[in-house]
Amino acid sequence: MATAPQSAINGMRILMVEDEMMLAMSLEDLLKLLGCEVVKAARVAKAVKLAETESVDGALLDVNLAGERVYPVAAELDRRGIPFVFMTGYDVDRLDSGYHGRPALQKPFQMDDMVRVMADAFARQ
Amino acid sequence: MNPPEPSPPLIVGIGASAGGLEAFRTFFRHMPADSGMAFVLVQHLDPDHDSMLVELLQRETDMPVAEADDGAAVEADHVFVIPPNASLTIDAGRLGIEEPAPPRAQRRPIDTFFTALAEDQGENAICIVLSGTGSDGTLGVRKIKEHGGYALAQAGADSHAMEGMPHSAAATGLVDEVLKIEAMPDKLAGYRSHLHAAAAHKDSDGTRTDAREHLDAICALLHERVGHDFSQYKDKTLTRRVQRRMQVLQVETMPDYLKRLQKEPGESDALFHELLIGVTQFFRDADAWEALRQQVVPGLFKDKGAGDAIRVWSPGCATGEEVYTIAMLLGEALRDRDVRPRIQIFGTDVDDNAVNFARTARYKSLPGVEPERLERWFVENGDAYTPVKSLREMCMFSPHDLVKDPPFSKLDLICCRNLMIYMKAELQDRVLRKFHYALRPDGWLFLGQAEGVSRHARLFATANKKHRLFQRRDAPTQSMHDFSLPGVAPSTDARRPAPRPTRRSEDDRLDRYARQAMQKYSPAYVVIDRHHEILRFSGGEAGPYLEPSAGAASFNLIGITRKALRPAVRAAVQKAFTSGRAAIHDKIALRVDGEARAITVIAEPLDADDSLCVVAFQDAGPAESNKRDDQDAQPGVAELEQELHTTRVQLNATINELEATNEEMKSANEEYQSVNEELQSSNEELETSKEEMQSINEELQTLNAELTSKNSDLNRANGDLQNLLESTEIATLFLDNDLRIKSFTPRMRELFHLRDGDRGRPVTEIVSRLDYADIKRDVKEVLRNLGMAEREVRVEHAEATYIMRIRPYRTVDNVIDGVVITFIDITDRRRHEAERARLAAIVESSQDAIIGHTLDGTITSWNGAAERIFGYSADEAVGQPIAMLLTADQSDLLPEMIERLKRGESFSTQADVVRKRQSGRRIDLSMTVSPVTDREGVMVAASTVARDISERRESEDHRDLLLHELNHRAKNMLANVQSIALQTFNSAPTPEAFKDAFNSRLTALSHTHDLLMQSNWRGAALDELVARELAPYHNDRQRQWTVKGKAIKLNAKAALALGLGLHELATNAAKYGALSKEAGYIEVKWQTRGGRREGEPAALHLTWVEHDGPAVEKPERRGFGSRLIEQGLEYELDAEVKLEFKPSGVRCTIDVPLDAATQDGSDMEIS
Repeated sequence: MATAPQSAINGMRILMVEDEMMLAMSLEDLLKLLGCEVVKAARVAKAVKLAETESVDGALLDVNLAGERVYPVAAELDRRGIPFVFMTGYDVDRLDSGYHGRPALQKPFQMDDMVRVMADAFARQ
Repeated sequence: MNPPEPSPPLIVGIGASAGGLEAFRTFFRHMPADSGMAFVLVQHLDPDHDSMLVELLQRETDMPVAEADDGAAVEADHVFVIPPNASLTIDAGRLGIEEPAPPRAQRRPIDTFFTALAEDQGENAICIVLSGTGSDGTLGVRKIKEHGGYALAQAGADSHAMEGMPHSAAATGLVDEVLKIEAMPDKLAGYRSHLHAAAAHKDSDGTRTDAREHLDAICALLHERVGHDFSQYKDKTLTRRVQRRMQVLQVETMPDYLKRLQKEPGESDALFHELLIGVTQFFRDADAWEALRQQVVPGLFKDKGAGDAIRVWSPGCATGEEVYTIAMLLGEALRDRDVRPRIQIFGTDVDDNAVNFARTARYKSLPGVEPERLERWFVENGDAYTPVKSLREMCMFSPHDLVKDPPFSKLDLICCRNLMIYMKAELQDRVLRKFHYALRPDGWLFLGQAEGVSRHARLFATANKKHRLFQRRDAPTQSMHDFSLPGVAPSTDARRPAPRPTRRSEDDRLDRYARQAMQKYSPAYVVIDRHHEILRFSGGEAGPYLEPSAGAASFNLIGITRKALRPAVRAAVQKAFTSGRAAIHDKIALRVDGEARAITVIAEPLDADDSLCVVAFQDAGPAESNKRDDQDAQPGVAELEQELHTTRVQLNATINELEATNEEMKSANEEYQSVNEELQSSNEELETSKEEMQSINEELQTLNAELTSKNSDLNRANGDLQNLLESTEIATLFLDNDLRIKSFTPRMRELFHLRDGDRGRPVTEIVSRLDYADIKRDVKEVLRNLGMAEREVRVEHAEATYIMRIRPYRTVDNVIDGVVITFIDITDRRRHEAERARLAAIVESSQDAIIGHTLDGTITSWNGAAERIFGYSADEAVGQPIAMLLTADQSDLLPEMIERLKRGESFSTQADVVRKRQSGRRIDLSMTVSPVTDREGVMVAASTVARDISERRESEDHRDLLLHELNHRAKNMLANVQSIALQTFNSAPTPEAFKDAFNSRLTALSHTHDLLMQSNWRGAALDELVARELAPYHNDRQRQWTVKGKAIKLNAKAALALGLGLHELATNAAKYGALSKEAGYIEVKWQTRGGRREGEPAALHLTWVEHDGPAVEKPERRGFGSRLIEQGLEYELDAEVKLEFKPSGVRCTIDVPLDAATQDGSDMEIS
């Protein structure tokens, strides 16, 4: 039974940026289950390239990608007006000061939470 | 009279000291450049500096101004200035320079020059004393005046001028005018023109020739006004002194001066003082005084007992120098004697001022007094010397007129030097006779160089011709007629002519022989004076006519003439003196050798001098016999004659009796007169003593008042001292030279067991609590070298320490009289010092910077840690504002900090500062700022303790980071586990299968973690990773796997991913593949090689090949394991994975870019 948020993101094209193999796999499965199309990247360089070129409705951004910070990707997305949600194992308040208050998920998270945050963030568009 | 020759210029000596420059300037501003005078300036100059005086003065005058050169002739209209460090003199109109100047104490350049100027120039010398302190110039003024020069002194004082010198000069009373500098040039010009005008009236030695006729009038006027008769002074002396006054007043003629004298009462005083100018000084003519000391002084003490007095009279003593000189000589002689007679020296003078001065005895300088004498007999009293008491007590001063007042008596010595030179001969005679009277037999007379007693050899014997020492001869009773008594106007007999010298011609040898030859033919005679005193006998032939009478020896002719001759002699002498002609009485019967002779008495006044008379006795042959007369006479006549004879005899007897009585009366009269005279002397002496006593009394009263006041002062001071000593609580001990206790303060009792009764006992007898045995030695040491001794002494058996100081005790007279020992308790100080040292060590050794500073932030102390932390040394920091330690962006914190401090708050704060040295890097500080208060709680300063917390801050940050990382990792791991669980769950057919698969996966994950932990998450070796995954799989014989490959270290991320991948491969092999059979085995190998394609980076190429397992079928469905291997590795490591299910066995190849597998990212970043 699909909830309201679930239906809100159904059919969206999502950029998933996550370097953790297991997590990426689970997330991808989940998103697909929710009816999303997934574009994925494990490294900043690739993610930036995708953010510049791909047409997506929203993005899930892991903050730490093999030692690199995801902020260049966020910047590009902001530039293009694409909404995104951070995912981080750190406290959400340790985000860079420029991104304080932006939607974020604290790992590990419940699927429901993720869907709700995504629906909130992406639906605003 | 010749027109005056171009006379030598007047030379004006000007002396000045402090404030002199301005005075000089003023003077020359008003002095015309063609005055015809020469100026010599004497200034007190610093010997070490060049003087600017010449330059400065040249601006004020058109006259050439130059520094004086040695030998330079003094020319008119020139100004000469004394050079620095030199003495200036003048001789024959040429300047003399002596270098260097005498030592400062004896330097009186103005006196030196004035004296030379006076002696060289006489009345052409002018001296001016201008501004200055002290009394230099005063003696010079005296000299100038003695030599007839002219003296001026500056009047008053403005802001520049100092009145010490001019005041001192004016106080001599000798300065002609005291006036303002501006008025001086006019006066000088006036004086000059007067000198020129007066020169016309002067004879060769500069005495006016027109004065003599007026002298009587002047003397009479003076006698009337001031009561002193100067008519017996030498004309020349009088004239010169009058002349001086005329010069001063600039009066041209004697009549004018006389008028002035009559009109102005003050002038008679001025002239009087001018006449009395004394020229006296200590030991004047030192040789003469030495002669006196050797020849006379010892004799004075002969036969004198302790109760006797040595009496000395110094008439005309002026300001007393001579008197004190005698007193010094006698005082010195007295010192060597056991028996010490009293010494009385009477100093008398007509001049009251002089006498007063002598009584006061304040001498500004004592030339002629040797330093030892000065030391012994004088004390310095302010700016003057006064004689010591013992010297002063010998001397008595009183006003006395030698001419009209009776003399003192029974004197041992009369010292009258340079007084008689002013007197005419007749007055000199009288004075000498007075001296003769006043001296006791063999008494001494000491006269000046130019004086003598040659005409009174009968009265005085010459003892030392050169130095004018004379000794009284015993002469017949002195007639007192010559002493004018008080109240008898001196002028009545004063101006009679003096006796002419009579002996000189008689000394002629021819005369003498002739006289001897003629003696037997010529009559015997005597020469007498008006008073019948015999001055000369002719020889032995006078014997028959003279007959010494009983009683005191006498040379009175009437007294010693034979009685038969007396009436005739008396009558003849009287007649001769009265008539001035010879008087002859003849045929006076006298029995000579039993034979009646007729004697002729001739009295003949001497031609030259009517006060003398020759009385000659001539034997006119045998007396005519009376018998012849008798024969011729009638009997009645004979009777008558007989009667007459009887009557005559009676008359003669009566006359004789009368004469004898008369003589007796006369003698008695003289005796009375003498007694009276003596009484007068005594009276005078008593008067003197009385005045002296009065003056002493006054002095004593003054002294008494002074002493009373001093006494109360002393009492107060004593009280103050007592209180001071007690309040300071300093134990103090006063000892005399023999270590006896003089006094002590109460605190002393704690150190020595002292009682009040111990005063006077030696301190060494008293038990001391001090651990100090050397007191005697130390005191002696202090007394010997007059230094100070300081010891630290401890009290036995107690923790008390004292600083003991021994100093010599100096009385107010600067005499050492024992020692003062003070004990200062320093026990507390010692303790505090130790405590302070301990605290200082703590502060210094602290790792925290401890900075003391004032309330407004000035650094006052700085410890070693502060130097280490801030990089400033203590020297650099102390005194600087504390703000310098803060960075610019924090300096605005300071005012607030100081404000809080001032409110008394103590607070901590954090601050960044920049270290000054060593790269200026910022350091983090924790600072605690606290006010420092004194005992009353008043804030006096502040301290700041600063701790360098940079490292702590870093480690805290590091810890935070670690905590976050841990949190992150744990959460990541949980997310991973979550995913694994989800995936496993999705692919597991049964819960048991899920449990096995999930467990084994977590175990594999855990193994990889273990490996990574070993290297602290820096990575893991690939062979170990493989071995760990395959370790469970071996049978009994052998391992079922082989590993081959170069050692390579994977980073954590690659290790985890590959670990999971290998685990899936191994699990699959155990379930379905090679490991499920005993013979099966797995071959794992790897190598590194270039990129898969051209230009690609190097890669790790790993192959997994299974052998001898069961036949493999390609699975229908891709499980989690396959997906993880194929997609996960590819996704996460950017690897290329090929998984083949060949029938011979599974084969898997994995190509991982080396960068991704081995690059050592941060060990933390494993998400």
